[in-house]
Amino acid sequence: MIPSQASIIAGRVIRQLIRDRRTIVLIVVVPLVVMTLIGLSFPEGNVLNYIAPALLATLALFFSFLLTGISFLRERSQGTMERLMASPVSRLDIVVGYLFGFFIFALTQTLIILLFTIYVLGVHYYGDLWQIFVFQVVVITVAVNLGIFISTFARNEFQMVQFIPLIILPQVFLCGVIWPMEQMPDYLQWLSAILPLTYAVDGLRNIMLTGKSLLDVGFELSVLISFALIISILAAITLRRGTAG
Amino acid sequence: MAEKEFTGLAAEVNEVSFSYNNIKAVDELSLQVPTGISFGLLGPNGAGKTTLIRLLVGLLRPRAGSVQILGQTPSRKTAHLIGYMPQLHSLYAELSVMQNVDFFARIYRLTNRHERAQQVEEAIKLVNMWQRRQDPVLKLSGGMRQRVSLACAIVHNPPLLLLDEPTVGLDPELRVTFWEHFASLTKQGVTLIISSHTMDDAAHCDRLAFMRNGKVIAQGTPVELRQATGQPEASLEDAFLYFIHRED
Repeated sequence: MIPSQASIIAGRVIRQLIRDRRTIVLIVVVPLVVMTLIGLSFPEGNVLNYIAPALLATLALFFSFLLTGISFLRERSQGTMERLMASPVSRLDIVVGYLFGFFIFALTQTLIILLFTIYVLGVHYYGDLWQIFVFQVVVITVAVNLGIFISTFARNEFQMVQFIPLIILPQVFLCGVIWPMEQMPDYLQWLSAILPLTYAVDGLRNIMLTGKSLLDVGFELSVLISFALIISILAAITLRRGTAG
Repeated sequence: MAEKEFTGLAAEVNEVSFSYNNIKAVDELSLQVPTGISFGLLGPNGAGKTTLIRLLVGLLRPRAGSVQILGQTPSRKTAHLIGYMPQLHSLYAELSVMQNVDFFARIYRLTNRHERAQQVEEAIKLVNMWQRRQDPVLKLSGGMRQRVSLACAIVHNPPLLLLDEPTVGLDPELRVTFWEHFASLTKQGVTLIISSHTMDDAAHCDRLAFMRNGKVIAQGTPVELRQATGQPEASLEDAFLYFIHRED
């Protein structure tokens, strides 16, 4: 169970986003449009089958990071975060509250992408659907925490958007999404070893392409959970009262 | 370190300094605010008023000197003693007036549902927004948002209110209404520390501190400050200019 103060914040975040109808429509429609375009651009089913796990991991990371980063930044720029920081709520409650609040919407987007990929684009996969879903939940948790953490370094939406090519794009190139990591120079392989998307792509490929279970991808899961924990602690640290603003 | 014994002061600032990137916003500032009064921080933009309020709230920590509110160092543990109204409206635009005030009531641990509902209602009624309680904040005017922001600050009945430019952008009628709210709060024993850069506001305060370049250049009651000029007809504006010229 999440702490009561965190659940109050989570409830408020959810209520606030639900009342923003345009955002809700975009949360649903954008992944559908993107997946349709991807499906149309890969008429050869086998290629799509192979690339689907990496795409699912990348899109979950990208959409969740973007949604969380921008929303959290808005809290800071509108002054509501300062007000919250002046209240008796702990930093951890704030991070956990936002994590759960944004998580619901990130989960919805990921579920839409996953179901669309499998049932509309007809991607073949091995392993259990629920295991794919659980793995994706961990990927989203990393992405939501990353969005909260990175947004503390941006002062406005424009700066936040600049973090996408810095945080997300390198992962697309370095984490085995487009070409095998083994083909990259050693120093880039070392770099890829500290990027969460590497483990997200590896784990999801193992489940979807070879039918492995969550237990089999325990290493990748553990690394991703560690990423989520470390980033959430860093996010809580950067929110400290004494340096607000 | 043990907390200093409560001196009976709502706020006590001793030789406090704070800088942003080597620019001194507050410079060896000292101040004492007795309880149950309205205390005005008056000064032009950049005088250090907002920084001082944020130091009192505990959002900033002094680089030098000490800050006490109600006998304690500002921290998360003292947050329930303070009602803070930042300069920005700081409201959730998509949520209704009621949802905003209720959210802050819950954040300030008003856990009893019945009591909370009562306090939320009282706070919204006090700022004359009860008729608009179901409206989302984004549909309200700037003045109305200020009123809702005040309701969020007072909903947990704190003994100390720190209000950063609460009357900025308000029309004269609404300004009078705000000062009526403030007067009713001080009658109930609440201490108000209010920053402003207009002398209209200054006249309503029980005590004032004139601020400039991060320092307090004079403090006292409005009458004392006017009398200090040596001119019986002097306004507070005259008094402010008098102290500025004396400093220069």
